[in-house]
Amino acid sequence: MRLKKVMVATLATVMGMSLLAGCGGTEKVETNANGEEIVNLKWYQIGDAQEDMEKVEQKINEYTKDKIGVTIDITQISFGDYNSKMLVATNTGEEFDLVYTCSWAHDFAQNAQKGAFLSLNDLLKEEGKELYDSIDPKFWEAATIDGNIYAVPSQKEIGSMPMWVFTKEYVDKYNIPYEDIHSLEDLEPYLKLIKEKEPDVVPLYLSKDFSAPAYMDLIQKPIGIEYGDETLTVKNLYETDKMMDTLRTMHKYYKAGYINQDAATVTPDNIIKRFVSKGDGQPYAEKIWSKDLGYEVVASPIMDTVVTNSSARGAMTAISRTSKHPKEAMKFLNLVNTDEYLRNLLNYGIEGEHWDKVPVTEEEKKEFEGKDYIYDYKVKLNPDNQKKYSVPYYVQGDMFKTYVLDTEPLDKWNTFKEFNDEAVAAPSFGFNFDLSSVATEVATFQNILNEFGSAINTGSVDPDVYVPKLLEKMKAAGADKVIKEMQKQIDEWKANTKAE
Amino acid sequence: MSKEMQEPVCSYNQIKKSTNVLFNVILFLLGAICVIPFIFVILISFTDEQSLVTYGYSFIPKKWSLDAYEYIISGGSTILKSYGITIFVTVVGTLLTLFLTGTYAYALSRRNYAYRKFFTKLAMVPMLFNGGLVASYMVMTQILHLKNSIWALILPLALGSYNIIILRTFFKTSVPDAVVESAKIDGASEWRLFLQVVIPMSLPGLATIGLFATLGYWNDWYQAMLYIDEPAKMPLQYLLMRLEKNIEFLNANKATLGVTGVEMANAMPKETIKMAIVVISTLPIIFAYPFFQRYFINGLTIGAVKE
Amino acid sequence: MKEKWKRLKANKELLLLSLPGAIWFLLFAYLPLPGVLLAFKRLTLSDGGFIKSFMESEWVGFDNFKFLFSSGDMWKVFRNTIGYNVIFIVLGIVLPIIIALMPNELRNKKMAKIYQSSMFLPYFLSWVVVSYCLYAFLNPERGLINMTLESLGKDGISWYSEKSYWPFILIFMSQWKGIGYNAVVYLASICGIDKTYYEAATLDGASKIQQMKYITIPLLKPVVIILFIMSVGRIFSADFGLFFQLPMDSGALYDVTNVLDTYIYRALTSLGEIGMSSAGALFQSVVGFIMIMTANKIVSKLDNESALF
Repeated sequence: MRLKKVMVATLATVMGMSLLAGCGGTEKVETNANGEEIVNLKWYQIGDAQEDMEKVEQKINEYTKDKIGVTIDITQISFGDYNSKMLVATNTGEEFDLVYTCSWAHDFAQNAQKGAFLSLNDLLKEEGKELYDSIDPKFWEAATIDGNIYAVPSQKEIGSMPMWVFTKEYVDKYNIPYEDIHSLEDLEPYLKLIKEKEPDVVPLYLSKDFSAPAYMDLIQKPIGIEYGDETLTVKNLYETDKMMDTLRTMHKYYKAGYINQDAATVTPDNIIKRFVSKGDGQPYAEKIWSKDLGYEVVASPIMDTVVTNSSARGAMTAISRTSKHPKEAMKFLNLVNTDEYLRNLLNYGIEGEHWDKVPVTEEEKKEFEGKDYIYDYKVKLNPDNQKKYSVPYYVQGDMFKTYVLDTEPLDKWNTFKEFNDEAVAAPSFGFNFDLSSVATEVATFQNILNEFGSAINTGSVDPDVYVPKLLEKMKAAGADKVIKEMQKQIDEWKANTKAE
Repeated sequence: MSKEMQEPVCSYNQIKKSTNVLFNVILFLLGAICVIPFIFVILISFTDEQSLVTYGYSFIPKKWSLDAYEYIISGGSTILKSYGITIFVTVVGTLLTLFLTGTYAYALSRRNYAYRKFFTKLAMVPMLFNGGLVASYMVMTQILHLKNSIWALILPLALGSYNIIILRTFFKTSVPDAVVESAKIDGASEWRLFLQVVIPMSLPGLATIGLFATLGYWNDWYQAMLYIDEPAKMPLQYLLMRLEKNIEFLNANKATLGVTGVEMANAMPKETIKMAIVVISTLPIIFAYPFFQRYFINGLTIGAVKE
Repeated sequence: MKEKWKRLKANKELLLLSLPGAIWFLLFAYLPLPGVLLAFKRLTLSDGGFIKSFMESEWVGFDNFKFLFSSGDMWKVFRNTIGYNVIFIVLGIVLPIIIALMPNELRNKKMAKIYQSSMFLPYFLSWVVVSYCLYAFLNPERGLINMTLESLGKDGISWYSEKSYWPFILIFMSQWKGIGYNAVVYLASICGIDKTYYEAATLDGASKIQQMKYITIPLLKPVVIILFIMSVGRIFSADFGLFFQLPMDSGALYDVTNVLDTYIYRALTSLGEIGMSSAGALFQSVVGFIMIMTANKIVSKLDNESALF
C-alpha cells in the first residue's frame, strides 16, 4: 500500500514542520524611555475594519509605550465572520493576546470551558486592581466559571429588558395609556381599537425572529429555569403553563387579525405601518428605535429587568491561553478601562480629527452634581472623518468611562448604573451548563426549534396542535437527557454556592 | 475576420427555417430568464434609497439616483485597491492553474506512463477527503506562514482534482495516439510534445479550465475570509460577502442583540449600495466569458465549414 | 531494484511533469489530511500549540457522528439530499448538452453567442443576491407574482410557508444558475471532435439529427461518464446556498428543504464543536467514496476506457 506510506510520511512531515515553526522567529527587543522592554500585544475585536485604525493605533502606542511599556496591534473582524475566524484561530492554537468574547459571538462559556482563555484571578489582584474595583461585582460574577474569572467585562446595561414599542402617532391619537401596558394580555383592547379604527395599520407587527415573552432563563434553548423559581427546577419552555398561555393568547390575536399574517416567514420590514411591536431594550432605547424606524416611538417594559448569564455577558475581553505576555495584557486592559484619555481615544478616535471636545457648562454640571460617571467634556463627532473610525463602543472596554455625545444627557451612564442596580438577578444567574456530555442531543435541538419556532411564537399556528409535535420531536432527540443532566449540574452548583 | 465571411457558405449544412425560428424562440426565452434578474439588480442599484423603502422593489424605479455609486466612490481607495487585488489574484492564479493542471493532466493522459495509476490516486483522494478547516488553517498559517499573504488567495485554489480529470479526458479524446507516437518517433521530448503538439490541439479544453479558474478566483471570498485580516489585501468579492454575512449574522442574532443589533443595522450599507457593489464586482468578469467563448464557438464553426 | 530504477529513468520526463502538481497535493491536500482524525476526538486546548492539543485530546470513538442519526428527521434529510442530487445529476447532464448543442445549430451565429453568454449570467450572482431577486417575486405582500394573482382576482399564495411548490422552485433555480457553466465542458468537447467526421457525414447526406445521434453524442460519452462519476461522489453533499438562502430558512419548508449541509449547519453553528463538524464532513466523504468506487467499478466493467481510474 503505497498510499498508506504516503499518509505516514505526511503525518511525520506535519509534525516535523510544526516543531520547526514553533521555535522560529526571535523578537527584536525595543525599550521605552523608562528602559522597559516594549511588548506588542495582538488584540482581536469584532467589527468591520476601519480605515483610520492604523492612525489611532499609532496614537495609542505613543501613549502606552511610555506609560506601561506596551504597544497594541488591533485586528478587527467583521460580525458575520467573527465566529468562524475565531473558532479556527482558537482551535489551531494561534498566538494572540486579547480577544473579544461574549454570549452572542465567540461564545464566552464554551471557550472558557474548553480552555481557550487564561484565568485572570491572580492577574487582577496584581496588575488589574484598579480595574477590578471599578466594575460592578455582578459583571465579575458573570465572568466567573468554576471560581475563575476568564474575562474583563465591558460595563454597559446588564439586564435584558423586553419592551413593547408603540408608534407614538397612534398612542397620541387615541390617548393610549401605554405606560400601563405590560403583559401580552394588557394589549388586547388597544389592538382591537386599532384594528377597527386604522385598517391600514398592523396592530401587532411581528417577524420570524420574534420570540414570545418568556419568563425564563433559557440556559440551553429552549431548556432553562423560570424567573423567580428558587427551587431551580429545570424545565422545557414549551412545557411551562405560562408559555402555553402566552402562545394561546398569541394564536387568538393571530386569528383575530391583530398580527400580520406573514409573521412566521418575514424579516422585519420598516415600511410596514404598525401600532406595536416587540423590542429588547435598555435605557434610551426609544431614541435608537425612533432613529431606525424614521418616526417617533415610545416603549413600555413587558417585565422587570432580569440579569442572566447571557445578558451580563454582552461584551467582554479575555486574555488568550496562547498569550506570551499575560501580565502586560492585563496592565493594558487595566489602563484601557481606567484611563480617561486612552478610553476615549479607543472609542471615538483621535481628538481634533475624528471628534472634538465640547466642555460641559457649569450649569449642566451643577444639575447632575453628586452623580456617578459625570465628565467635564462631551463629544462632538466630526461628520467627515468619523466614517473612517467608527467602532462598536462596547467592544473596546467599559462604556461608563467614555464621554457622552453632545446629543445625549450628561448623566447617561448614571442612568445606566441605576438601571443595572435595580435589575434583579435570575435564580440561575452564575450557573454554567457544561454541555459536553449532551452535545449530540443539543445539536439536534436547533433544527427542531427553527422548524417550528417562528410559527408557534408568532401565533401563526395553534399551539395545542403544534407544541405537542415539537415536544415529541424534542423527546425523540433526547430532551429529557438534557433536562436531567442540567438538573444534576444545577443541583451541584446550588449545593456548592450555598456552602460557601 | 475571414471566418465570419465563410459562414454563409455552409448553408447546405443548416437546420430548417422553421426549426431555426423555434430554436430562436426557446433560446430567447431562456436567455431572458437568465438576464432579467441581472437587470433587476442593476435597476435597484440606480434606485433612490428612500423610494425603495416606501414603494419596495419595482422594475421601473419610482425615482432614479446615483447615490449608491457616489457612496462607493467616496469610500475612496478601498474599492480600487480591492479591484487591483482581485485582478492580480485572478490573472496569476489562472496562469498557475493552467500550468499545474496542464502538466499533471498531460502526464496522466499518457498511456505509457508507468506511474499513472499512482498519480491518479494521488489526485483522486483529495477530491473526496480533506483534513477540514482547522487542519488546513493550521498548515496555512503555522507551517506555510501564509496568513495575510496574497499567496493565501492564490495557492490553495491552484489545483483541483476535478479540473485534472476533465483536462485528462480532453487530452485523451482530442489528441489521437497516432499523433503522439509519430512525434515520439521523431525524437521529440515530452516537454516539446506537450508544448508544441498537445497544447495547440487541446485549446478548447484548456480554455474550459482557464474559464473555470478565472471565475473561481474572481468569485472566491472564502480564502480571504480565513487568511486575510488587512483591509488593503481584501479582494472585491470578500467585501461583498462580508456585507451579506453581516446581515445574515444580524438576522440570526436579532433576539440576543437587542438595541445593539438595531445600531448595527443602522451602520450597514443600504440595499441600493449592496446592489451597486454586486454590479461593480460582477461587470468586469462578465466579459471573461466571451473571451473564452471564442475557443468553443469558433472551433465548431471553423470545423463545420472546413474547406 | 534495478528494474525499478530503469522504470524511473524511462519515465523521467513525465515524472518531472507531474512533480509540480504532486508537490501542490502534498502541501495543500495531504499535509492537512490527518485532520480527519479530529472526527474521533473531542478537542480541548492545552499549552503548546495545535499538535499538542490534538495529541492530548480524548478519543471519543464514533460519538461525534451520533448527531447525524439521533434526530427523528434524519430519514427526511437523507431523502431530500439524495433525492435532489439524483435529479440534479440527471438534469445536470441532459439540459447543458441541449443548451450546448442548440445554439450551434442556429443560422445566426451572433445570436448563438448572445444566447450562450446570457445563460452564463446567473452563475455570477451569489445565492444571497438571487434570494433577494426571488423574494421580489414571491414576497407574500408585495411580491410580483402575488400582486399579479390578486389583480386577476385570485388569492395570493404564501410562498414561504407552502412547501408543495418548493421542490420545483429549487430544481428550477439550481438548473437556472448552473446551466451555462455546466454547458461549457460540453461545448469544449464538441469543439474537440474531429471535424472530418461531420464533413464525411454531410457528404453522405446525413441530416443534422443523424449527425447528432451518430457523431456528437457518442463522442461526448467519455466526458458525460466522467462528469457523472464525479457528481455521484457528491451525492451526500448539497449546495448550501440553494437550500438555505433561497427559502430564507423558513421552518415551514424544512420537510422539503432540509438537506445534510443545512442540517449540519444549524446543528453546529451555536455549538462550535470541531469534532462534530469534522465527523459530518467525513461521513459525507466516506459515502461519496463508496459511491464513486461503485460507479467506477460498474463503468469499468462496461467500458474500461471511460472509467475514472
